[in-house]
Amino acid sequence: MSLIGANFRRDIEIHRYPLLVYALVPLAALVVQAWLPRILGQYAYFDLPLVVTIYFALGRRSPIQGTLMGAALGLFEDALSHLAIGLNGIAKSVAGYLAASVGARIDVENHTIRVALTFLLSLLSGAIYLFVSRFLLGLEFEWNWFSELFKAVGNSVIVLFLFPMLDRLQIRD
Amino acid sequence: MESFFVRYRNHVVLLTILAAQLIGLGAQVRHSRAGRNSLDPSDSSGVRLIRYWAESMVSPPERLIHGAKVGAENLWSGYLDLRHVRQQNLELEQTVGRLRLEQAALLEDARQGQRLQALLGFQQRYIYSTVAAQVFGTSGSDQSRVFYIDKGSDNGLSRDMAVVTADGIVGKVRDVFPHNAQVLAVNDQTSGAGVLLETTRIRGILRGNASGQLEMVGVLSDERIKPGEKVVTAGGDLVFPRGLPVGVVSKVASDPDNSAYIDVMVKPAAHLDRLDEVLVITSMQPRFSDQEKKDLATSETLDGAQAAAMEEQIQEQQKAAQITAERLPGLTVPNLPPDQQPINDGSPPNPISPQPPQPLHADEFSPIPGDKVVPGVSDDGAASPAQAAARKKIAAPGNAAESAARKPNATVPPAGRPAANAQTQPAGQPAPRRNP
Repeated sequence: MSLIGANFRRDIEIHRYPLLVYALVPLAALVVQAWLPRILGQYAYFDLPLVVTIYFALGRRSPIQGTLMGAALGLFEDALSHLAIGLNGIAKSVAGYLAASVGARIDVENHTIRVALTFLLSLLSGAIYLFVSRFLLGLEFEWNWFSELFKAVGNSVIVLFLFPMLDRLQIRD
Repeated sequence: MESFFVRYRNHVVLLTILAAQLIGLGAQVRHSRAGRNSLDPSDSSGVRLIRYWAESMVSPPERLIHGAKVGAENLWSGYLDLRHVRQQNLELEQTVGRLRLEQAALLEDARQGQRLQALLGFQQRYIYSTVAAQVFGTSGSDQSRVFYIDKGSDNGLSRDMAVVTADGIVGKVRDVFPHNAQVLAVNDQTSGAGVLLETTRIRGILRGNASGQLEMVGVLSDERIKPGEKVVTAGGDLVFPRGLPVGVVSKVASDPDNSAYIDVMVKPAAHLDRLDEVLVITSMQPRFSDQEKKDLATSETLDGAQAAAMEEQIQEQQKAAQITAERLPGLTVPNLPPDQQPINDGSPPNPISPQPPQPLHADEFSPIPGDKVVPGVSDDGAASPAQAAARKKIAAPGNAAESAARKPNATVPPAGRPAANAQTQPAGQPAPRRNP
């Protein structure tokens, strides 16, 4: 029983990071997301702001912080595009909220769970984007689900390398 | 009440943020009369401010990374990999000299073409001023195919300017900041450009699809459209000048929404995924640099020398024609001024002469009944009154020598004596006509 209790306490442990990490990692994600497609061209199947949102939401386990970070990064992404500001904001707000809510209930240190969660949240984020733009706003544009699928796979692959790197930045007691 | 917010604060925060963003989105969407919703192409001041903040935060580190990459590339290509540079420099100098001459000739042609088109009432637009810019970033989203360039309003850029490369069109300037600008690529779904097929001259609208491929929509089904045909700008969208390369037709497919139309897939001429340097067309008014003006003057001088040589040749030909005309009998009369020469007479060649009235008492000069009068020929055989007057002058005693000189077998009598075969009929009196 004590063993179960120790595992549970470890699972619900809130990760803390230096303040600079909270500022620089999201900014770096935005910059790299904007710059790397120039090099990779049409093969840039990833969404680094979403990956960073999921990481901090899982680590902090706070739905409010996950929502706020998702909204901020999504709004910045929208602002860099020529589309309406708020489409990515809504999608990533929901993704951050769900990631934090799920992170409070499962073992988020497990790589398989991290990868699976990122894959599902990437698809969900795309679905929310499509729902808001096409059904709520009535905008007409084509949608490519294959592209979203590849993006979800790309995000899952990035998680395998990025999350362990970011884990090293957290403050340990 | 307080316990409700404390208990459900996560949900309340989420719903509040979602509601705020939805309201903001609703303010950015415009409802058209046709019942369609679309994004407002011109951002409001609030939206523009948010874009400016985001651009100000992301662009500096992005430019830093881009600068580091370019610096590393330049270090390699400029200092470490300098083989064959001297030989290449010599070849390039020769090429530049040749191209300058060609450019001068082309400028002259362009000016001449403009003058002719102005006469014809066309409004052809030419590229005269461009700004070179480097691409340093994108939007990061495949839903928004925009990229950022390192030139802005400080460099004379403004909205809706065309962006091209040497290969073909790339996009148009959408948002302009002081030092940067956002360019909407032609393969974005919201983009649009008027294009036409080079051979068949079929027009259509170019835009991108969800996969970032170019397609030409609004084209009626036509069997003449084949893969490989070139696509150029039509010039009617007031953004891109006419005749710029767009790409080639890669595939022709029927439109799933309307069977009467087809979708023409276009392979872009410019590498839209790997853009490094682009040109922004800032002006279509004629502005020549000092070097261009100098080259143009040289070209005009050369053209002037050619024109002078050609004019001299024409004058020689005219002189030869004049000599030939003078030697031909009956075409010119030396004593008459040029405007009264028979050859320049404007009267009809065969005027219809009225029938003479029947005489009361016929004499030797009366026309014989039944004898046909040839229209346009007077009694002395002249075709017109001017010719008759000229012949009378020739027949006058003073002109007998000249008249005799025109006859091959005539001999010129001494002054004061009429020639043997010269007509000595008094002026103004017709020659007597003998009755048969």
